[in-house]
Amino acid sequence: MSGPLFANALVSGLLLAGFYAAVSVGISIAFGMLDVVNIAHPAFIILGSYAASIANASMGADPIVTAVALSPAFFALGLLLYRFYHATFERRGREPLRGLAFFFGILFVTEVALILAFGVDYRSVTARYIGTTWRLGTVDLPLRLFVPFVVSVAMTLSLQVFLSRTFFGRAVLAVGQDQLALQLMGVDPVRIKQIAFGISIATAGVAGALLVIIQPVQPSLGREYIGLVFAIPVLGGMGSIAGTLAGAAILGVATSFTATFFGPSWAPAVSFGLLLFALAFRPSGLFGR
Amino acid sequence: MSGALLVAKGVTKRFGGFVALGGVDLSVGAGERVGLIGPNGSGKSTLVNCIAGTVRGGGSIEFDGHDLAPLPPHRRIRLGIARSFQIPRPFASMTVLDNLRIPLLYAARAHPLLQRSRGRETEEALSILRQVGLEAKAGRLSRELTQVDMRKLELARAIASHPKLLVADEALAGLSASEVDEILAILLEMKGRGVAVILIEHMMRAVLRFSERIAVLVVGRKIADGPAETVLRDPAVERAYLGQ
Repeated sequence: MSGPLFANALVSGLLLAGFYAAVSVGISIAFGMLDVVNIAHPAFIILGSYAASIANASMGADPIVTAVALSPAFFALGLLLYRFYHATFERRGREPLRGLAFFFGILFVTEVALILAFGVDYRSVTARYIGTTWRLGTVDLPLRLFVPFVVSVAMTLSLQVFLSRTFFGRAVLAVGQDQLALQLMGVDPVRIKQIAFGISIATAGVAGALLVIIQPVQPSLGREYIGLVFAIPVLGGMGSIAGTLAGAAILGVATSFTATFFGPSWAPAVSFGLLLFALAFRPSGLFGR
Repeated sequence: MSGALLVAKGVTKRFGGFVALGGVDLSVGAGERVGLIGPNGSGKSTLVNCIAGTVRGGGSIEFDGHDLAPLPPHRRIRLGIARSFQIPRPFASMTVLDNLRIPLLYAARAHPLLQRSRGRETEEALSILRQVGLEAKAGRLSRELTQVDMRKLELARAIASHPKLLVADEALAGLSASEVDEILAILLEMKGRGVAVILIEHMMRAVLRFSERIAVLVVGRKIADGPAETVLRDPAVERAYLGQ
């Protein structure tokens, strides 16, 4: 194993981990804190990719600028979706399987809508930094990965600060621990969950813009990310943003090393084997409560 | 009772074929201390769940002039109904202080996102913790507390929502004699604040010491309601509750 190859694999893994954190932090909120099994999360990521791609093709807009500009729209979409989910499923009792079916439906409806509207061709974006690679000694730093890494880490850390330092954040943590107790303190848990779910979907929109910077996308690509977006929060500990970052780092680096030294086809097997191994010793995840 | 704070009339609740409450009336005046007793399964917790809104039943319940029927639990809390749980339910990953900040911020406020001021909530939370003897443990995680301290925290959270009526559901269960005295002292102090208290309890010594009035439920029906000495001499109560 050569030093430069090792260093490049490590850096690529960490950069990949940043992106992984962006795609899974929303699930950590929805599934880990709100008990909403939003399996359609990857569909909203792809929706974010398409929004960034369309704005890029028609106006030349930078994908990240588009993501930030559209995050209120994704937030509003999340508010509406949760309100609908609550009214039609959640309020009628805890039936996680029916809720799962609801979000599976949303996943496929979104995918089919994108196919009908834009076809099945891959879409990509152009930006000055996408083809640029910085060299730090023997280590390559492709901006195509580095820019999403910076945006993702900034978004994830901001969420961590927001959830741990603000009173709304404390209410979100509380709703995940004991919804009834929270309600009996005068707090409307549905309102708290609705806003937090909106934030979760807004992160998916941003993650989508980062995804289309990293690779071209097509409507059914979201399904490939279902395993990943759930595996990372499970590994890190459901409902823990710090755990999501740690889980993303472990899977990102493991994926990169496996792909570099053993071939890309081994990467998912090693990553998910690592997940199973970790959960065997710590079922609640690395940072689980 | 004219001018009562809480007026429950004909409250009913069925769970399938089981009648948990078969038309119970209960009134509580402002600042009144009421003991609610009865054997296990008599409907005490179901009645207070109907009052708090966590269980929907029949009949009518008015609180401070408001019909509670259309209101979800959090709106009832904002009107001034607080309850503590039989088994304490603190937010385990939060500090004792943060457990109090949440009700202080949100209770009685319709728009929590607009609440930005922090200093006052912290000050008030510390003041309440001082009253219940938990100030020194404000920074501890609530899951690290002893059983009696968890009960105190439960009461502190209820106090923090500025209640007019506090329902203490078996707040004394499993405590030692000295711990019972500590919790009773907190509950008795509520009277000084003008807060009415419904104490659900099996420990008769504590109920007698605390209550100005006692209501007795047996298999979903109220069989007695009045001053303690009268109620405990009631043959029906002796037969059904005390087993004599």
